[in-house]
Amino acid sequence: MDFEFSEDEVRFRESVREFCKRYIEPRWVEIDEKGRIPVDLIKKMGEQGLFTIPISEEYGGMGGTITMTAIAAEEIAYHDPSVATAVYTLLNNGWPLLVERYSNEDVKKEILPKVAAGEAFYGIASTESHGGSDVAGIKTTAVKKNGAWILNGEKTYISGIREIQELPEGGGYFLVAKTGKPEYGHRNITAFNLIVKWNGKIRHGWKPTIFEEIGRRGISTGGFILENFEIEDKYRIGEENKGFYYLMEGFNVARILVAAATIGSGRWALDQAIEWVKTRRLFEGRPLASFQGVSFKLSELYGELEAAKLLTYRAAWLADKIYIEKNPKWKEKDLNIPVALCKMKAPEATTKIYEELMKWYGAYAYTKDCNAFRGWLGTFSYTIGAEGAQNIMRIIIARDLVGREYVKG
Amino acid sequence: MIAEWIGGGLVRILTLVKLTVDISQLKYESSGEPLIDIATRKMGDSDKCAVEEAIRLKEKYNAHTVVVTIGSTLDHERIIRDAYAMGIDEGYMVEVDGYENLQAITIGEIIKSIVEMTGPYDLIILGAGSLDTHSYTLGPIIASKIGVPVIAGVDSLNYIDGYFEARCIMEDGTYIYRSKPPLIVTVTTEANEPRIPTLKTILKSKKMEIKRLKIESLNVKPEKIDLADLKRYVIQRKNIIWDASEDLEKVIDNLFKLLVSEV
Repeated sequence: MDFEFSEDEVRFRESVREFCKRYIEPRWVEIDEKGRIPVDLIKKMGEQGLFTIPISEEYGGMGGTITMTAIAAEEIAYHDPSVATAVYTLLNNGWPLLVERYSNEDVKKEILPKVAAGEAFYGIASTESHGGSDVAGIKTTAVKKNGAWILNGEKTYISGIREIQELPEGGGYFLVAKTGKPEYGHRNITAFNLIVKWNGKIRHGWKPTIFEEIGRRGISTGGFILENFEIEDKYRIGEENKGFYYLMEGFNVARILVAAATIGSGRWALDQAIEWVKTRRLFEGRPLASFQGVSFKLSELYGELEAAKLLTYRAAWLADKIYIEKNPKWKEKDLNIPVALCKMKAPEATTKIYEELMKWYGAYAYTKDCNAFRGWLGTFSYTIGAEGAQNIMRIIIARDLVGREYVKG
Repeated sequence: MIAEWIGGGLVRILTLVKLTVDISQLKYESSGEPLIDIATRKMGDSDKCAVEEAIRLKEKYNAHTVVVTIGSTLDHERIIRDAYAMGIDEGYMVEVDGYENLQAITIGEIIKSIVEMTGPYDLIILGAGSLDTHSYTLGPIIASKIGVPVIAGVDSLNYIDGYFEARCIMEDGTYIYRSKPPLIVTVTTEANEPRIPTLKTILKSKKMEIKRLKIESLNVKPEKIDLADLKRYVIQRKNIIWDASEDLEKVIDNLFKLLVSEV
């Protein structure tokens, strides 16, 4: 058994840390306040190779691993604890992996190098207004006509709506739509590369809107309506009616990366807490840390974050075995519990740290002079939903533990 | 033997790098004593600027770049690989016991011997305080050993019409020096903003060969200065606490006076 990161992983983490100290840390509050990651920063991140980390060099990727992508997400979130920049990064790593694995060769060469360079955004569009957790119940349709697909429907709580419009090239999504009879459930869903803006031009039939969010404000969230949006068949991802399975594969990677991002933010919060309880003095000059009510809690929070970190990197290690190394010893179903565990534990451990940090800060934490609320709100979004609601994680775990017949969801 | 500089042709640049403690990751005892023994090591900041400068010249003039470090621990191997990941082409580690306490003159002799063995070089570029126990003398020592001019403390380096132009900012003004290659230059941390290795270059650097040279093969007798004692800086909080609830102006005045007294 070996709990050490490899030399490559350590050196990569250091390079990401150096990049973040130079270019992200000085701007993270401004990013959250203004509600946008500057385009020049996105371009710089592309030049530094922070997008498409697990994608082959052949398609402009970095030739790395899912573990390395998790390392990047964690480090970026440490330096932007609102997690906006980390979420932008993880989307442009996790979902392009499905483009590489299942898209047409020409499409891979068309999309991936531009995402790698930070010129285009590539995210996920699955959630619809009647409920994100019920993927099989989506209503967006794709109908084949004269060799192309005509899409109609509506997606909501989708990241990157503004970024696609602002980036010079544009971008799009891994999108799922119904392509067969409704009674077939999740077996009539097909995945597409929905490229809504390319070569700087927004495509006909895409009507976006942007929401005002309370946290993680640097990356936009919104929705869009598709009205007779036409997609050439070559942009279909994988086989027809297998989209649900590709989506679950995408969620496996995305959940690991989300967990890593919340851990990075949690590490930052814990560092602030340690510094504060050592320096804040009360009741005849005693540091806060000298009260067991504080130090015991601090130990528990540290333990929870460390546990979440171990769960996350264990899941990343396993995902590498399955998706990157394609080691036949492991099957995709082996990821069910490890992935659900890390997505369940990491955001919850981190928000607990923020809650205690803000209590230890006292009234100061309830002002905008204190930046802890930015991390709290940012990571809290992942205890609500995003890449799978927390109770969906519990259902996945319970199904594997006691059997599908007992856990109906 | 130093090669003639041929504008646009293949030129050879030698850089030197040393290990330093990564202050940004330093941990402390509760007494304030820094935990140096377990501290992360990294390439020195001004050395990194020297490496960056060498790579920029390589990119402009199609140069072959070589890096040398004195010492052969895993950390030394790592800083050579970091130089590779930035863009250096070839690297050497010199195997010698007690590398930390070698005299700058000995380092100068080692570099002279390496230049004779692996050169010729058109430019030798190093950090201002590189590999010389902070004496800032290594550049001039190498220059005297191999008989080429040196420009020290450079914060900007250009190559124009067959000449190097080096800028040095001094107390009494900004000096621009000009010299034909071959040349030795020491650079400050103001010279440039070193590039950060990417994942691709990190992975590539892992596969590159690092050549090892034994001190005996360089015909250099190591001269050392024994380190008799070392008192580290202890970082401690002052624990001065003023109650600002009654007279904020007075507290501000106290703070101001304290800060002025320490400047």
